Amino acid sequence: MVVFASALTFFFVNLAPGGPASIMRFDVTAEQRDVLIRAMGLDRPVPQRYAEWLAAAVHGDLGTSLLTNEPVSARIADRLPNTLTLAGSALLISILLGIPIGLVQAVRRGSPIDHVLSLASAIGLAVPVFWLGIVLILVFAVSLHVLPSAGVTSVSSDTLWDRVTHLVLPAVALATTILPTVVRFTRSSTVEVLHEDYVRTAASKGLAPGVVIRRHALRNALIPVTSAVGALVPRLLGGTVVTEAVFGWPGMGRLALEAAQGRDYPLVTGLTVVIAAIAVGASIVVDLAYTWIDPRVRLQ
Amino acid sequence: MVSAVRRQLVSLRALGLVGALIVSACSSSGQPAASGTAATQGAPASGGTVTIPIGADPTLNPWSPNAFVESLFINRVIFEGVTKPGKDLAPAPDLAESWTTASDGLSWTFKLRTGVKWSDGQPFSADDVAFTFNDIVLKKDLGAQNAASYAALKQVTVVDPNTVRFDLSRKFAALPSFLAYNAGILPKHVLSANPLTTTSFNKGAPVSTGPFKVEKYTSGQSVSLVRNESYFGPKPYLDKVVFTVVPDPNTQIAQALSGDLSIMILDNKAAVDRVKSASGLVVASRPLVQYYWLALNQTDPRFTDVRVRQAFVEAIDRNAIIKSVELGYGSIANSPITPALAAFYDPSLASKYPYDPAKAKDLLAQAGWTAGTNGVLQKDGKPFQFTMDVGQRGVLEPVNALIQQDLKKVGVVADLNTMEWNAYIQKVVVRRDYTATVNWWTYPSDPDVFPYYHSSAAGKGFNIPGYQDPKLDDLLVQGQTASDLEQRKAVYKQLQTYTSDTLPYLFLWYPQEIDVLSSSLHGVPELGLRDAVQYIGEWWLAKP
Amino acid sequence: MSRPGLAALAVLALIAVLAMVGPALWTIAPEATDPVHGLAGASAAHPLGTDELGRDVLSRLLWGSRVTLLVGVAAMIAALLIGLAVGAVAGFKGGWVDAVLMRFTDGMLAIPAFFFILVVITVLGTGVGTLVLVIGALSWMPVARVVYGETLRWKEAEFVLAARSLGVPGGRLLARHILPQAIPSLVVSATLGVAFAILTESALSYLGLGVQPPLPSWGNMLQRAQQYVFTAPVLAIYPGVAITVVVLAFNFLGDGLRDALDPRRRR
Repeated sequence: MVVFASALTFFFVNLAPGGPASIMRFDVTAEQRDVLIRAMGLDRPVPQRYAEWLAAAVHGDLGTSLLTNEPVSARIADRLPNTLTLAGSALLISILLGIPIGLVQAVRRGSPIDHVLSLASAIGLAVPVFWLGIVLILVFAVSLHVLPSAGVTSVSSDTLWDRVTHLVLPAVALATTILPTVVRFTRSSTVEVLHEDYVRTAASKGLAPGVVIRRHALRNALIPVTSAVGALVPRLLGGTVVTEAVFGWPGMGRLALEAAQGRDYPLVTGLTVVIAAIAVGASIVVDLAYTWIDPRVRLQ
Repeated sequence: MVSAVRRQLVSLRALGLVGALIVSACSSSGQPAASGTAATQGAPASGGTVTIPIGADPTLNPWSPNAFVESLFINRVIFEGVTKPGKDLAPAPDLAESWTTASDGLSWTFKLRTGVKWSDGQPFSADDVAFTFNDIVLKKDLGAQNAASYAALKQVTVVDPNTVRFDLSRKFAALPSFLAYNAGILPKHVLSANPLTTTSFNKGAPVSTGPFKVEKYTSGQSVSLVRNESYFGPKPYLDKVVFTVVPDPNTQIAQALSGDLSIMILDNKAAVDRVKSASGLVVASRPLVQYYWLALNQTDPRFTDVRVRQAFVEAIDRNAIIKSVELGYGSIANSPITPALAAFYDPSLASKYPYDPAKAKDLLAQAGWTAGTNGVLQKDGKPFQFTMDVGQRGVLEPVNALIQQDLKKVGVVADLNTMEWNAYIQKVVVRRDYTATVNWWTYPSDPDVFPYYHSSAAGKGFNIPGYQDPKLDDLLVQGQTASDLEQRKAVYKQLQTYTSDTLPYLFLWYPQEIDVLSSSLHGVPELGLRDAVQYIGEWWLAKP
Repeated sequence: MSRPGLAALAVLALIAVLAMVGPALWTIAPEATDPVHGLAGASAAHPLGTDELGRDVLSRLLWGSRVTLLVGVAAMIAALLIGLAVGAVAGFKGGWVDAVLMRFTDGMLAIPAFFFILVVITVLGTGVGTLVLVIGALSWMPVARVVYGETLRWKEAEFVLAARSLGVPGGRLLARHILPQAIPSLVVSATLGVAFAILTESALSYLGLGVQPPLPSWGNMLQRAQQYVFTAPVLAIYPGVAITVVVLAFNFLGDGLRDALDPRRRR
């Protein structure tokens, strides 16, 4: 699947009008353009270039960026940790907030608090993430001065705390793309479980509601939530493109935008491969988590 | 001849000074000036860090084809040219102390500064200058950026370790100005094997001669500079200069408002009022060597009639564009020579084409365009309708929206086709497959605009409209070959009048740059920020 | 249907009516500039004020609603058609066709779509047509799964087997007997799909890859307005709120329809 994605991307991106940004400059003469096209090897046919790329890629060499002459793998390695930190934090926020909120809503189903939280997550699902990002910057960075607006670290200090404060706004903004879904899944699957006979039985035995939920309902309710979270990971990764643009976060999303607009063919292809690999890796992790939560799967 | 050049320099200096005085007079009456007198600010203090935002990761090599606009700042701080733009924008000494041209005008000799060292401690010499030009710029197969500007250069000859001679195939009066424009000298002892694509140099810690050198390059985040202890000039006041990568202009503004930045170009002029009202920030306007234009493809017979071109200029409300898109930071352009080049600029042309839709209709009627259906003009039964290609960059989208509406008012239909920048360049510049388009030129601080107007550049070079005119060609060559300043001024005055009559490009406006400075930052000359950074050794921070 | 669902339907009906007749009633052209009166506040002539070029914000919102809803609905239809084809063929044919198509569907679901949208739009260029295709091509998978599930469920049903034994051809069988069973679920997917498409359109327009000016869409209005967020934040508020309200309404409608059509969930 990864090879297929790379081939598709390589051929596709070479179809794009224009060319690498260094030759698509207003102030480059036709003569220089020809020289650069030859220097980059772009005068050779696309299948030949792809075959060479693939042969090297099999040995872990993703090629050289046309725009910076750095190895593609190095450029991605620079950005990958930032994207994983951002997406990971957003995922963590969504799970740590989403599951308790969903549980509260399920237990208090029909109460005012359930309605308020339902409305809140519906709005969260409807707000464009970049719009929310701009609002967060205006409120917390510009007006209140409590959090930095952009970047990974401050210019002057690079401490762990400094990094955490920089992470807060983008992670919160990104989390809203999946948090409401986690809440809704938790709520509905818990409601479902609470209606199951064994839970009713437990409750009718006179067990305290808290114990019923913790001992009997929670684990079973979480099984569908886990697979839902797994399905949300691609959406989360996609959301990094816009979030990174708003918060000046130096991650893969921004790199992808630059690479596509600058027609950096090897970089675009390399990014595709890495993103596809991450998506595959994430689905494996989710499967493992699934096994851990659901004893029936473990037994099989 | 030597004395003639000296006189030229002196008079340029003098004229430039007048220009600078005017600028500072304006700024003291209008916006607060960035740098006042020493009496009000106290003596320059040493120490501190200045933070400047850039839009993307820079390439630390002025000749690399990948050194885009975000690289200019740093490259102009760390690398030095043979000359640099003076505070009046005329060429001033940098690595060269003085220069003369031969009596036949076919060579220039530069006397280099002695005792200059690279940041790695190696001595700098004439060999480095010769290397930079002979082995990089003139090596066709490297495709060095700006190499096309040196078409007249045959070679650079090392006369002695402190003297170089630029040998030319034709006269090139603007050479010292061109050498001041993104023409940093590179170290031969580091780059002789691979001058343009050495990653440890371009994206790491390059060896340089400027007042600061790279301390650390963090991809996607920042490039920090520290004092270059080998620097030949006076020790800079600042301890550190940090260029922080912030792609989003609004984020840059938010950072400036929260006090994270020392100085920046306000790309999003719409926010100027917000920035002005912030405490601790100072806003200043700076002249630029830049003008916006509308190119009408001369292969389209409708646009070869000068009356049509003049009618378009009359029809476009350029003051309204300056007011709404540039927030007033700009002035009407009627020629390619910008007011920033005070020695050459002819201010009498500024009021040549006032906004006058009625006159525009008259001119179009004279050209045979008569009223047709739906208020659209027609000629031979064909409506006056065409497509304007719009590149997604800067202010181009709103400007095109305004021009479209202005043309509509005189009966001309312009359909807008907005495209991604890269695809736009491919269509408009590479393939020249366009009818009309708006863009801008930025050029070295010299009125030599040959590359953008000469008929030899039509269709493939920088002559985007493809306008060809022997009389204009003649003026362009005269400007390059005149070696006396007064003669050059006379030629370029003629050229301004002639281009404003014939309108090879439809001139729109001269933009100004808005710079935002922290109020504790002093000593910044009143130049566009990309020029002002070449005086970063004079910048200093007031102690809080 | 539930009260929020009905309310959402009412809101959407109102917006649809505004999008259809609004531009006819409010006749200021959305592209008509008046730079002298740029960034004007609310007035009788411009109830929502003007943007930086003096264009009427109300008119742009009304015209923008057409573009935004058009892109949203068209992209949803594209997704529906692709999903219907893939799901029905996979479910009905079975065997290796099923395996390949459904594996492909799962693969598409696992891909962070936005990265690929960047590449595709770079190649095809920006524009309403591209946008519809791209969003459609990246959001058909849930539809395919729904259709696949329904097809599997009904293709062995007695009335289908009976029709088959009468010699009804496969395509007709699908169209007449099997797919109608999937309509309730499809209506829900389609409603939620419009919401997704509108959000995607606005995000792409924010990045400059969406609907291009001078054609107004809520997404590209936001992109321009973002430049004025420090001096005229109200310009960003109208389209931002408009997007949120419409997406919210589609989501509520989708939920309402699901509850109404699926009795098991009515609790």
